Parts: sequence; structure tokens; C-alpha cells
Amino acid sequence: MKTEGTHEIHAARDRVYQALIDPVVLQRCIPGCERLEKTGDNAYSTTLRAGVGSIKGVFTGNVRLEDLQAPAHFRMSVDGKGQPGFLKGSGELDLEERDGATIVSYKGDVQVGGTIASVGQRMIQGAVKMMSAQFFTSIEAEAQTEAHEPPPKHDFFRTALRWFSGWLRRMRRGVAR
Amino acid sequence: MIPAQFEYETPSTLSEAIALLGQHPDEAKILAGGHSLIPAMKLRLATPQILVDLGRIKDLSYIREEGGQIRIGAMTTHYQLEASDRLREICPLLPECAAQIGDVQVRNKGTIGGSLAHSDPAADWPAAAIALNAEMVAVSANGERVIKADDFFVDMLTTSLEAGEILREIRINAPSGRFGHAYLKVPQPASGFAVVGVAVNLTRDGSGVCESIGVAITGVASKAYRASGVENAIRGNALDEQTIAAAAGHATDGVSVNGDLYASETYRTHLAEVYTRRAIAAAASRAK
Repeated sequence: MKTEGTHEIHAARDRVYQALIDPVVLQRCIPGCERLEKTGDNAYSTTLRAGVGSIKGVFTGNVRLEDLQAPAHFRMSVDGKGQPGFLKGSGELDLEERDGATIVSYKGDVQVGGTIASVGQRMIQGAVKMMSAQFFTSIEAEAQTEAHEPPPKHDFFRTALRWFSGWLRRMRRGVAR
Repeated sequence: MIPAQFEYETPSTLSEAIALLGQHPDEAKILAGGHSLIPAMKLRLATPQILVDLGRIKDLSYIREEGGQIRIGAMTTHYQLEASDRLREICPLLPECAAQIGDVQVRNKGTIGGSLAHSDPAADWPAAAIALNAEMVAVSANGERVIKADDFFVDMLTTSLEAGEILREIRINAPSGRFGHAYLKVPQPASGFAVVGVAVNLTRDGSGVCESIGVAITGVASKAYRASGVENAIRGNALDEQTIAAAAGHATDGVSVNGDLYASETYRTHLAEVYTRRAIAAAASRAK
């Protein structure tokens, strides 16, 4: 399944880039990420408790960051498997400065197989969109935090509140999507 | 096909059920009709440790009229709503929607409260609830809370019900005046879920001008949504073919349309427009 999208993040591009490739930040921002351990240069092993609503599964897998061109571009590849199925994918992320904000565009291809693909096919795209929106909302909060400040919290209500205020901002400018 | 091990609790009152949820906030899951949860458990996509079955609680299954409102107990089955003669008269959208859910087995066991609280992105009830401006009554240890349908559906499989809250009742203001309803749907041939489902609830004046309208669409996005663009283009205007066709063009305004193996984004967008047009035309022709 192809997936692509853009997210506007109200923070400087350098800060956003650093947040996106920092494993400590990623662990806090990836929804359901329980563990992210370094296994090599820009390579990590991870445990994800991913899902929506009552449908949840535990995935273990690997994340690799490649083609790092700070602060504009990198590629991320992920593969994982768990009881509900397996997933494998890679995507290109591009960061662009616009009016003091950072536009992150991502484009990738995700393959999902196993039980979750055979019975949950109609929901996969929606779930990917929902989780990526949560992820970028958390990244925005991280990138707006100065290095000496304590990291922001990402519980459900804070993330929902941030998402909602971002949505209001987009509505006011009339570019809701 | 055999679920993971779980505890099974059968409270006989709502307060017992609420207490059980309070004792096990992370592990407990409410079982209503079980026609979404049990299949997910059999595939081990859902593995709740404790099931709290509401089936033994008396007085959660009813259709009543009170103070100009229709009140429906959360454990009322789809079939009970489909078969209600009184509803066919005073709020025909409900039986029309119920009749199109799944198959006979699903309708005999599945419940309106279970479907709403599950918030499947392709379920039928959420569209009807939004179009009818329904209110959900949730109970918890802190008392009761009324949630408007527009605020109830947050995202895919996510509602604004908090941990420890149970959906108890659905309230709908009984339509009055020259009202017309319609629920039109393209069912997925295997599952019966809506590829696109459109619920319309409108009123017209004596000259054929639309006074009020609710249009809600399911199956298209990550949750059922109100098609505000369509409503705004119809409200206050004559319910003629051109107006309806032009309004239906706003069916997916501001919405991120989902695609899957069965229906691509483009095809779904097209279906949403066509079925919105047909549903409004059907409701308009019934409003007399």
C-alpha cells in the first residue's frame, strides 16, 4: 500500500530534523513504542504495541535510517512481525522551510500481511493516517521544546488537544484537509 | 480461531458493571452483542483479559417515548429497531438503517449501543446517529453525561467515551413537521459493511423548501462524519434536482477518503456523491 502525506510543524527545520532522527525522541513519539534499542549505525530494534481501539498487536522489528542529508532528507525503513501479521515498508521524508514552519512530506510503500491484512484490510489505511497524525503532533511538541527544558508528555489527551489546536489553526487558514 | 484466555464477568446491574470497569481499567472490555469484538478476539486481534458482559443487566433493551424524545436502550438489538412499527411511523430512518446491517444473525444479536461504542469506520448506526442529531447517555462512577453524536465519534474505533464509562441510552428528538428520512448504502458483498452509507434526515415547508437537514456519511473516512457542505448547500433552498445534485458534490469536502482493495479513493468519492444525491432525493420525496 502506498502512503503519502504532508504535515506542517511549527518549529525550526533543524529542530524537527534532529527530533526525527533522535531515537530517544522517536521512542516517545511513535505511538505504542515500548522499546527502541540501537543495534548499529542508525539501526535500531524496536517493540511496538500498535493498534487502534480494542484492536491491538505487539510487533517486534527493526528500524533503519538511511541516506541522511541533514536537515532536508532521510529514508526510513521498517520491518516487523507479530501475532497479528507482519509489516515491511520504507519511506522518504523531506523537510522544507516555509514561513518559519517546517513542512514534512513523506512518501512510502508499506506491505502488510498475515491476519491483519486479510481481515483488517479496509482499516489499514485509516489506521496508518491516524497513527502518523499522532506521531507528527508529538514530534511538533518535541521540536518546540528547547534542549534544556524537560521533554513534553504525550498521553492521549495532550496529543488530542495539540491535534485539535493544530486543526483549528488550519481551519482558520482555510486549508483543512 | 480460538480466543486467548480471558475472565468472564456477568454483572446483573449497571453499577456492578461500572465497578468492574473501575477495578480493571486497562484489562476489562465491555461485551454487548459481541458481533465485532468476538470475531476480533477469535483472530486474536483483540485480547482483553476480562470481558464484562452487559447481557444479564435488565432494562438496557427498550424503545421508549419520553418528553418528545425517542429513547433507546444501548442493548437494544438491530432487529428490535428494524421490527418496531412505532419507529417506522415516528422515525423511519432507524428501522431503515437497522434493516441494512449485516445479516439476520448479526441483527438478532448485535446491538445499537455496541455498534456506536465500537465506532467502526464503516458501521451504519454512526451515520444515522449524526443525521438525527442523537445524544448518547454515558454512565460512570461519577454519574451521567450526555454526549452529542457530533462529539461522540473521535476517530477510527475511537469514541469520546472515557475509560470506566458505559453507553447506557441513545436519545433522539422525534422528527416533526413534513419530515423525510433515507438511509442508502453500498454494502461490501462479503462483510455487509458500508463501502458508502448515507443517512439523511430533512424537513421541508409547504412550498418544497428545505427547512432543516442532517446528512451523515459512513464507510468513506476513518469515522462517520457530518457532510456540512452538503447540508449548507441544501438548507433554505428548494429541494429540486439541480440543487440536490449540486449539493451532493460536497459529499467528501474536507475529508480524507480511504481506499482499500475493494474500492479505491476515487471510486469511493464518486459513490459518496452519487449515494448522497439519491439519499437526499429519496428523503425529499418522502417528506409530505
